Amino acid sequence: MEKLSYDAVIIGAGLAGLMAAHEISKAGYSAAVISKVFPTRSHSAAAEGGIAAYVNGNSDPNDSPDYMAYDTIKGGDYLVDQDAAELLAYKSGEIVELLEKWGALFNRQPDGRIALRYFGGQTYPRTRFVGDKTGMALLHTLYERTSGSGKVDFYFEWFAWELIRDESRVRGVVAFDMRNMIPFFFKAKAVVIAAGGMGMLYRHTTNSYIGTGDGYAMALRARVALKDPEFVQFHPTALYPSDILISEAARGEGAVLKNAKGERFMTRYAPKKLDLAPRDIVSRAIITEIKEGRGFPGGYVGLDISHLGEEYIKERLALAYEAAKTFSGVDATKELIPIRPAHHYYMGGIDVDITGKNPDVIGLFAAGEAACVSVHGANRLGSNSLLETLVFGRETGNEVVKFLQSFTEPSSDIDKEAEKAEQSAYDIVKKESGVHFGDILEKLRDYMWEFVGIYRDENGLKNAVSEILKLREQMKNMYVLDKSKVYNTEFYNALELKNMIDLGLVIASTALNRKESRGAHYRTDYPKRDDQNWLKHTIAYLSGNTVEITYKPVKMTKWKPEERVY
Amino acid sequence: MSLKNEEAEVVIKVKRYTQEKGFYWQEYKLKVDRFTQFTEALRRIKSEQDPTLAYRASCHMAVCGSCGMKINGEPKLACKTLVLDVIKKYGSNVITIEPMDYFKPVKDLVVDLDDFYNRMHKVKPRLYPSNEVLEGKAEHRLKPEDQKVLWKFAQCIWCGLCVSACPAVQEDPEFLGPAAHAKGFRFLADPRDTITEERLKILIDSAWRCTYCYMCYNVCPRDIEPVTAIKKTRAFSRLAKDKTEVIKTGEKHTEAVHSSIFDSGKIMGSRVYLSTYGLLGSMKEMIFLMQSGKLKYALVKEKAVENIQEVRKLLRG
Repeated sequence: MEKLSYDAVIIGAGLAGLMAAHEISKAGYSAAVISKVFPTRSHSAAAEGGIAAYVNGNSDPNDSPDYMAYDTIKGGDYLVDQDAAELLAYKSGEIVELLEKWGALFNRQPDGRIALRYFGGQTYPRTRFVGDKTGMALLHTLYERTSGSGKVDFYFEWFAWELIRDESRVRGVVAFDMRNMIPFFFKAKAVVIAAGGMGMLYRHTTNSYIGTGDGYAMALRARVALKDPEFVQFHPTALYPSDILISEAARGEGAVLKNAKGERFMTRYAPKKLDLAPRDIVSRAIITEIKEGRGFPGGYVGLDISHLGEEYIKERLALAYEAAKTFSGVDATKELIPIRPAHHYYMGGIDVDITGKNPDVIGLFAAGEAACVSVHGANRLGSNSLLETLVFGRETGNEVVKFLQSFTEPSSDIDKEAEKAEQSAYDIVKKESGVHFGDILEKLRDYMWEFVGIYRDENGLKNAVSEILKLREQMKNMYVLDKSKVYNTEFYNALELKNMIDLGLVIASTALNRKESRGAHYRTDYPKRDDQNWLKHTIAYLSGNTVEITYKPVKMTKWKPEERVY
Repeated sequence: MSLKNEEAEVVIKVKRYTQEKGFYWQEYKLKVDRFTQFTEALRRIKSEQDPTLAYRASCHMAVCGSCGMKINGEPKLACKTLVLDVIKKYGSNVITIEPMDYFKPVKDLVVDLDDFYNRMHKVKPRLYPSNEVLEGKAEHRLKPEDQKVLWKFAQCIWCGLCVSACPAVQEDPEFLGPAAHAKGFRFLADPRDTITEERLKILIDSAWRCTYCYMCYNVCPRDIEPVTAIKKTRAFSRLAKDKTEVIKTGEKHTEAVHSSIFDSGKIMGSRVYLSTYGLLGSMKEMIFLMQSGKLKYALVKEKAVENIQEVRKLLRG
């Protein structure tokens, strides 16, 4: 197998991966970024509404980073590690200022300073934005910055398949060049998994097609734990029926949710915060309205932005306006936008501490949606994900630098492991018959949506676990029809499906295990939060068909759990 | 409110490609509804009918720029195009999908974009702020109206559609192409940037090589108007040092058009030509015109328009 050698290999070229790569290469270490897509196609581009930040001298005079940390902790239903939330809040201002220096075109106040707006769960407005394409704007800024130095090697349209480790430490990554299917062993002293989320596990998702949970599954196969895998966020306002995200910024700017009777139904569910309550609460409210017969035929409710005025809408909510028009045929300046909840974000992820370091394998790091720091706990607040990618991407990069400074070369040979990984991928190409990835994939997406979705219960989850195990068995007969070596996307889709099934099994099993309702994890058979028994992180390993579950305490600093009312 | 839904059976003819077989056409039949995007149609073909079909797609909401291709001959983002809209527009349930023009084919709808990325990187696509700002001794302020102008041109998603559709790119290897110009102008015009001279050196000669055919304007899925960026870049021409022949000719041409309109209210072709290319160049051209029997058009005597004073007032702005 061909070999390459780097100080650090970063899997994923979204905001978290690029930020980590920037820091590592700035310190003089060699860094390779491996991505399934050209960096600006990463899912970070799809983030819309903004990035939360307390900026000294440019925030609400009553606001403070402590309020920001508190909002994040309360929003996450007290499953947030409070040291992580504080770090996120206290570094938010400088990270936004850094991106500004690098040329990000934030919307401005009349005096030329960066503008701000409200997002759900915020005590004071603190979301900074570039229209409603903030993710795209920041991703381009960071890619253009990182690609300019010439110090980071980009391997885009490369598929990272397997993490290679020895008994105690990470040794590299096996990845395929998608153009010709040639496998490479990227030997590395440190590996950062920043491979993003897993939306394609769900029938309805706002995520990109590339979000197939590769990073999580790669970690699981390398005997690395996921933290809080049962916590999956659903966004209340996905466009009906295409599931394109209508940013929470719409409600931040004053949009109102209405049912088919024209009622502002959020008065029933969150009388104080109304439409700006956190996402889990609004999602459940919408599903309840639809279930109880107050939705529109087809199963959706309406989002009203018409009163904001055409000019304002087209400047600040351009994408929402355009998406409603293009994909649902609705003129949002005059009509309700049809919306329903869809899968949006994964709070769970590779277990890391606030420096991005994983405790299972020396030299393994993770950042962004792939990681669970845990800064979002049981439910992420809007505009905290862009912030997380950059703050913890940078922290992780710095920690990798420290690690590399004290690095000692291991003596054992590891090439055989890499060859085994290559073989495990090729097995599906060599079979002559069996099932195709599509046959299994569509079933998985339906089970996850039906049984591991917004409302969960024991029967549904048990059903999900047993069905996913069946799919996992079927997967052994998966084969690839396309025998060409050039850009064989069928081969990579099959590998992605393997990743999705492994992750699906872990999510369903841990959701079955957590017998309470907290944040986005809502059990109809256990509708109350249970701090006595469940104020703890789930730590899950995958071993064969068994999901092994242990726990970790939640880190508390200043804030005691209280009932979560909005 | 209830959304109107309609359904249709569609035949999608995909122009496929492999190195061994070259190009060939393959048909897929599927049912679509009023909301089916082409990316979703392709995804369903791949997972339900033919997993061997290769294409790129990621965000399905027109911000990542992965899915550029030709749909019934039109350069489009597949995600931003609804199947039913195309059926209605062309009055046919048979639709063709082809890879983008200009770029080398790799497999099926996937083309090699290295040439495109090279063009984008040539214009130094990043801000070079002052040292004071980088060291934290100063902060950037940006007027909301400047932000608005820059943001328009910063929204390029690197999809490559404009370059694939640009005839000048195919004819002139020195022309950077529309997307790179939009990107270049976005930084050239940024008041926070410090390397204007270097940017002019990269951009001005190329800007005068654009033929103003407006294909980029027509196909851009983000309405960036790369041609407008090129026009605005030309306005920086006077600041450029070491002017190339292309720049000098371009400036002369603009000057000639301006004075022709100032004097007569019209673009007087032969006069503009003479001022742009000089007597010798124009005489060579006359020989060609004579040969093709079109000389009479060049010799038409033009009269000034009646309200020439009004025109001059407009020009003085």
